[in-house]
Amino acid sequence: MTVFSLIIINKAGGLVYQREFQPGLRKLSTNDYLVLAGTFHGVHAITRSITPKLPLSTASTAATTPTSSNMPPTPGIPNSFTPGSAFTFPNPGTPATGLECLETDKFRLTCFQTLTGTKFLLFTDPIMGNIDVVMKKVYELYADYVMKNPFYQLEMPVRCEAFDRHLGGWLRGRT
Amino acid sequence: MVVYSFYIFDRHAECIYNRRWVPRPSSMIGKSSRPTSETSTTTNTLPPVLGHSARTTDDDAKLIFGTVFSLRNMVRKLGGEDDSFVTYRTSQYKLHYYETPTNIKFVMLTDLKSPSMRVALQQIYINLYVEYVVKNPLSPVEHPGGVGVNNELFEESLEQFVTRVLS
Repeated sequence: MTVFSLIIINKAGGLVYQREFQPGLRKLSTNDYLVLAGTFHGVHAITRSITPKLPLSTASTAATTPTSSNMPPTPGIPNSFTPGSAFTFPNPGTPATGLECLETDKFRLTCFQTLTGTKFLLFTDPIMGNIDVVMKKVYELYADYVMKNPFYQLEMPVRCEAFDRHLGGWLRGRT
Repeated sequence: MVVYSFYIFDRHAECIYNRRWVPRPSSMIGKSSRPTSETSTTTNTLPPVLGHSARTTDDDAKLIFGTVFSLRNMVRKLGGEDDSFVTYRTSQYKLHYYETPTNIKFVMLTDLKSPSMRVALQQIYINLYVEYVVKNPLSPVEHPGGVGVNNELFEESLEQFVTRVLS
């Protein structure tokens, strides 16, 4: 298993952490990484907004409104009086998120967005499994060594030596 | 698996073809309107405007192109010039991407259960697009506004491909 690199983007789309663990991806300049973080932040928002919306009842609302107007609305489904806004997502149980996993010929990008909007981007080998475990550990280390660091200023670049050390050590131990 | 929509973009970033499929309304609503079940099958072929009141299909195509274009450039920067992204997924849908050597981009949105569609998109390009659009002597070289792509043979065979081969 190979983890190429990790990028952390704050909730405003700024790059706060970038580190390469194993060679495999091209090296970019700091400026390019900043651009990449901002671009990804925007694309992530767009991918959520282009989620296909499935009309709840294209034919039946138009054709049967006069007859079935006394029917109670179906519970659990967003209902509205204008037929144009009655829609559901493909997976109604889960909220729509942005891009979660991107696959290319050479790498796989997994994105995890925390509840507060921070995004963790993990670049791994395309065949590697169990990325969830790695992501969870990265988040845990971030919580422990960055967020609990009293000198860390929120939304600012992460410069925590303990975080670097533990992250590197843990990933090396897994390979 | 379900295919939600399909787009073709030419090398000038213009959407030359787009097609949306809307699955039949969920069964609990369908039951209440048994007489209209025939019309609900025909809605599959109509361009649905409902459910997209705020944004039109045209705007969607632009957003999708922007996404695909940015991701492609990002991936090329990181993985090298010969790398290209194949698919991405969110919690709701999967987007598949295939780019021909002539920079025509094929994009398909499906549900999460679908496997990799790279081969399918390649087949659409080779067996449908090249056969019915490129080899058509009456079709122009460029397709501004979808002229030449929206011919009957192409649309019909695409419909068949998606409904029979992919489902």
